[in-house]
Amino acid sequence: MIQFFHVTKKYPGGQSALDDVTFEIPRGQFVFLTGASGAGKTTLLRMIFREEVPTSGQILVNGRNVSSIPQAKIPYLRRTIGVVFQDFRLIPRKTVFENVTYLPRVLGVDLNGQKKLAYQALRRVGLAHRLNAFPPELSGGEQQRVAIARALINEPDILIADEPTGNLDPDLSWEILRLFLEVNLRGTTVILATHDRDTIHRIGRRVLTLDHGRLALDQELVGTDPPALDPLANLEVEEEVEVPEAPADPHPPGPPLPTPPSLPRRERGESEPPEEEPG
Amino acid sequence: MRFVHALLYFFREAAVNLLRGWKVSLLAVLTIAVSLFVGGAFLVVSGNLSGSIERWRNEVRVVVYLKPEATEADLRRLAAEARRLPGVTSVEPVTAAQARDRFKDVFPGLSDLVSGWQDEPLPASLEIGLDPKAAKSSWQESWRGRPEVDLIDDDREWLGQLEAAVAVVRAVGLALLGGLLGAAIFTIASVIRLTAYLHHEEIEVMRLVGATEFFIRGPFYAEGFLQGLLGGALASGALYGVYQLIHARSEGSLFSAVLALDFLSPQQVAFLILLGGLAGLFGAVVSLRREAL
Repeated sequence: MIQFFHVTKKYPGGQSALDDVTFEIPRGQFVFLTGASGAGKTTLLRMIFREEVPTSGQILVNGRNVSSIPQAKIPYLRRTIGVVFQDFRLIPRKTVFENVTYLPRVLGVDLNGQKKLAYQALRRVGLAHRLNAFPPELSGGEQQRVAIARALINEPDILIADEPTGNLDPDLSWEILRLFLEVNLRGTTVILATHDRDTIHRIGRRVLTLDHGRLALDQELVGTDPPALDPLANLEVEEEVEVPEAPADPHPPGPPLPTPPSLPRRERGESEPPEEEPG
Repeated sequence: MRFVHALLYFFREAAVNLLRGWKVSLLAVLTIAVSLFVGGAFLVVSGNLSGSIERWRNEVRVVVYLKPEATEADLRRLAAEARRLPGVTSVEPVTAAQARDRFKDVFPGLSDLVSGWQDEPLPASLEIGLDPKAAKSSWQESWRGRPEVDLIDDDREWLGQLEAAVAVVRAVGLALLGGLLGAAIFTIASVIRLTAYLHHEEIEVMRLVGATEFFIRGPFYAEGFLQGLLGGALASGALYGVYQLIHARSEGSLFSAVLALDFLSPQQVAFLILLGGLAGLFGAVVSLRREAL
């Protein structure tokens, strides 16, 4: 679960990136984060994995207060969160295998274990055959899928994607989004920042809209053309995969996404922050 | 087990980085090799001088040179007296004729220098062997005033001066080693900082996936250590090459007869290489200490 309690972020010089943002994302939910450029989407995402700290307010990720987490414990938080960026952030001189196995290496998994995990993760994104390729040899869509495989390799609790389809053509974008939805179907909380309103309308799901650093809208949408999803897609047949039940949706479908700020803001998750995790 | 995996990863990454940026790495390796070569050379010289001094100290002797007018009877009398002195282990009287013959044997090329003289060119002498542990006694002072005695040459006097010279050589060597090692550490630190800068994207990715600072910095520490080890090994190899060259050229010469010429012991070579490794590691740690990476 991710909880933001009155989170404000001001940069030196007084520029405000986030202003009193409060919301809650239950475990296993799929959330679109949208807003114009500079609305604060990236700052908000970076706060979840403690790349940024709030000027005021509290952020809890799975009950842990990330704003006050000790520096030495940040890596352990990040191992539970997969992050995908618009610019992929793949290392060109490393093979696909080396790019996706950073976390297993950090965790001390032996080479055979790394190979197995890499194969499984790449198979999920349909790129198991490109294990030994280098990123510059891949298309944009393939590179993005490698970045997703890297984020998924440790079965993270939370998957964060910042404009993951921004550099891709519509067909590839749809393919990538479908992948995120399938990951979510297996129980991973997915937060996807995008300003592609057509995609949001088409897929539906919960949408958080930021406007000049404020949470302008928090609503549930019914997709106009949601894809048919296969929770077992790209998983090995012989694998015993536990497919979690789709989480009960706490937010009934709302009206189609309007243009802010004409719709009323939905009041959610404004309870008092729980006490910080001991230790 | 996890630590072993991490170490293997560090050294694998370090080796790849060394090969990939071999030109810059070579600069760091060479600077450390030069500093360790100079330090090692001083170690070889001072070690050999110390060894020779030690050897000479165990064979310490006093040579009493007699005046030309002293007779063989004087020589025998003084020899008999010398045998009764404290701390004396051996007494060998050498007549003027024996001294001349000995010179011809030791320096056959210079035998003309002692031939054809009307009188004996070299004085008769007494070679008095002393117990190296015995304290310097006062008999030498009283002997200096005797009419038959011309000069008393005590090895211990010039050995003391030589020891002082060796101490100076050692101090200069240490100072040079320190200075050059400092420069080498600075070079390695710069190379490591440059490598870290070139890897900033990878570092960012590692940090995002949850790598600890130790895991992120580990390959750079290993790279500094490897550069130092390579520098140490190169210095040891070069030192051995130069030693062999000098050894081959000085074989049979007066130089090799007078001075022991040994190379460093395996432990000293290992120390030199390890010193390089530690200097490289130190450079890497220092360079990344204040780096945010």
